[in-house]
Amino acid sequence: MIAPAVLAVLAVILAVLGPTLLRRMSWLERSPRIGITAWQTLSVSIVLAVLLAGSSLAIPAIPWTINLADWIRTCAMALLAQYSTPGGAVVSATGAAAASAILVRVAYCLAADRAIAARNRKVQLDALALIARPHLRYDALVVDHPAAAAYCLPGRVRQVVLTSAALSALDHNQLLAVLAHERAHLRGRHDLILAAADALQHAFPRVPAFRTARRELGRLVEMLADDSAARHSDRTTVATALVRLAEHGLTPAAALGAGGESAPSRVRRLISPTRPLGAGKTTVAALAMGLLIALPLFLAIAPASAAGTMDPCPEDEQSLTM
Amino acid sequence: MVRPLGTLEQHVMDRIWSWGRPVAVREVLEDLQRERTLAYTTVMTVMDNLRRKGFLTREKDGRAYLYRPAQTREQHTAAFMGEVLAGGADTSVTFLHFLDHIPPEEVASLRLALDEHLQGRTGTAP
Repeated sequence: MIAPAVLAVLAVILAVLGPTLLRRMSWLERSPRIGITAWQTLSVSIVLAVLLAGSSLAIPAIPWTINLADWIRTCAMALLAQYSTPGGAVVSATGAAAASAILVRVAYCLAADRAIAARNRKVQLDALALIARPHLRYDALVVDHPAAAAYCLPGRVRQVVLTSAALSALDHNQLLAVLAHERAHLRGRHDLILAAADALQHAFPRVPAFRTARRELGRLVEMLADDSAARHSDRTTVATALVRLAEHGLTPAAALGAGGESAPSRVRRLISPTRPLGAGKTTVAALAMGLLIALPLFLAIAPASAAGTMDPCPEDEQSLTM
Repeated sequence: MVRPLGTLEQHVMDRIWSWGRPVAVREVLEDLQRERTLAYTTVMTVMDNLRRKGFLTREKDGRAYLYRPAQTREQHTAAFMGEVLAGGADTSVTFLHFLDHIPPEEVASLRLALDEHLQGRTGTAP
C-alpha cells in the first residue's frame, strides 16, 4: 500500500515544484530543444506517476520468483487475497478505474483537438483559395490586409501565409528570415508538440503545471524556429523582422493575451550575445530528465522487488479454490 | 505547396467580385468558356455551392436566378483575417503565428532595445 501513496505524493510534488524549478532555469532558453524536452519530460513524468499510482493500487505487489509455476501461484494468491477482502476489491477497482480513466481522457482530448484542428485547417485552406494569391518569388500565399502578419498552416497541406502589409513592412532578407522561421515550424511539426501539450491541458484543466507547460512550450517552439531562421540569415535580421512586424501589426481590441509575452523575450534573446549550452549543462539536463522518468517507475517497482526477497508462498498451507 | 483547391470556385468568385453586379449563371459560364470548355450544370453547381457556403446570395429574376457576392472581396478578406488574427481558443491548434499580440508600449521598448543593439554593432565596427 506504500507505493500508490508515494507515487501520488511524487505526482503532487512534480506538479507543484516542477514548473517553478524549470521556469527558474532560464538557461534552457539557450537551447530551446533541450528546454522543450525538459517540459515534455516533466509532463510525462507527472502523468506516469499518477498512472502508476492507480495501477499499483489495482495490482498488489507481486513477489518475483524465477519458477513460473510458483510465480503464477503467488500471483493468484496475492490477487485472491486482495479481492477476497471487500475493502481490497474496492481499492483495486478504484485504482484500475482511475488509471484507465486518465488514459482514455488524454487520448480523447488529443483526438478531439486534432479533429478540430483538421476541420479549421480545411476551412482556412478553402477560404484562402478564394482570397489569397501565391507570391511570385516566395513560397507563400499573400492576403491583402492592412495588418502585418505571418503564420503557417501545419498538417498535410503545409502553407505559409503573409499579409500584404507584412510584405511591405519587411525587406527581402527579413522576409526570408520570417519564411525560414515558418518553415522550421512546418518541418519540425511543432504543431504536434503543442497539440500534445494542449491535450494535457484540456484533459486536466485544474492542473496549473500543464497550463504552464503549454505556455512555455509555445515560447520555446518559437525560439527554436527563431534559431533556425537565424542560421539562414542572422540573429539581428530575425529580431528586426519581429519588431517591424510588431510595429505594423494591428493589435485588436480583443487581444486575448493568452501567452502573449513571448515576443519580448524572443527579441531580447536574439539581440543578446549567444552562448550555446555547454556540454556540462546538457549532461546535467539529460541526467535530470532521465531521473524524472525513472523515479516513478522505480517507486512503482521497488515494493514489488522488495517483496521478492520474501518467501514467495507459504507451502501447503491452503488449497486455492477458485 | 500551393494546393489547387477549388480552382473553379476561385475563378467564379474572382469574376463575380470584379464585376460587382448581379450576374446569371449563363454570364459566368460564357466568360469562363473563353478559357475552357465547361457545362452549364457544372458552373451552376459551383455557384450553388458558393451560395450554400455563404459567399453568394441570389434572387429570382424572371426564370433565372441572379447571383451577387454576399460581401465584397475586401469585406470578406477583412472578416477572415480578423478571425485569424484574433486568435480564438480553437485557433491555437490550427496554425502557428509568427508573432502574438504585443501591447504598444512593449513594442516601443523592443524597438528601443533593437536600435541600441544596432547602434552598438555599428559603433564597435571598425
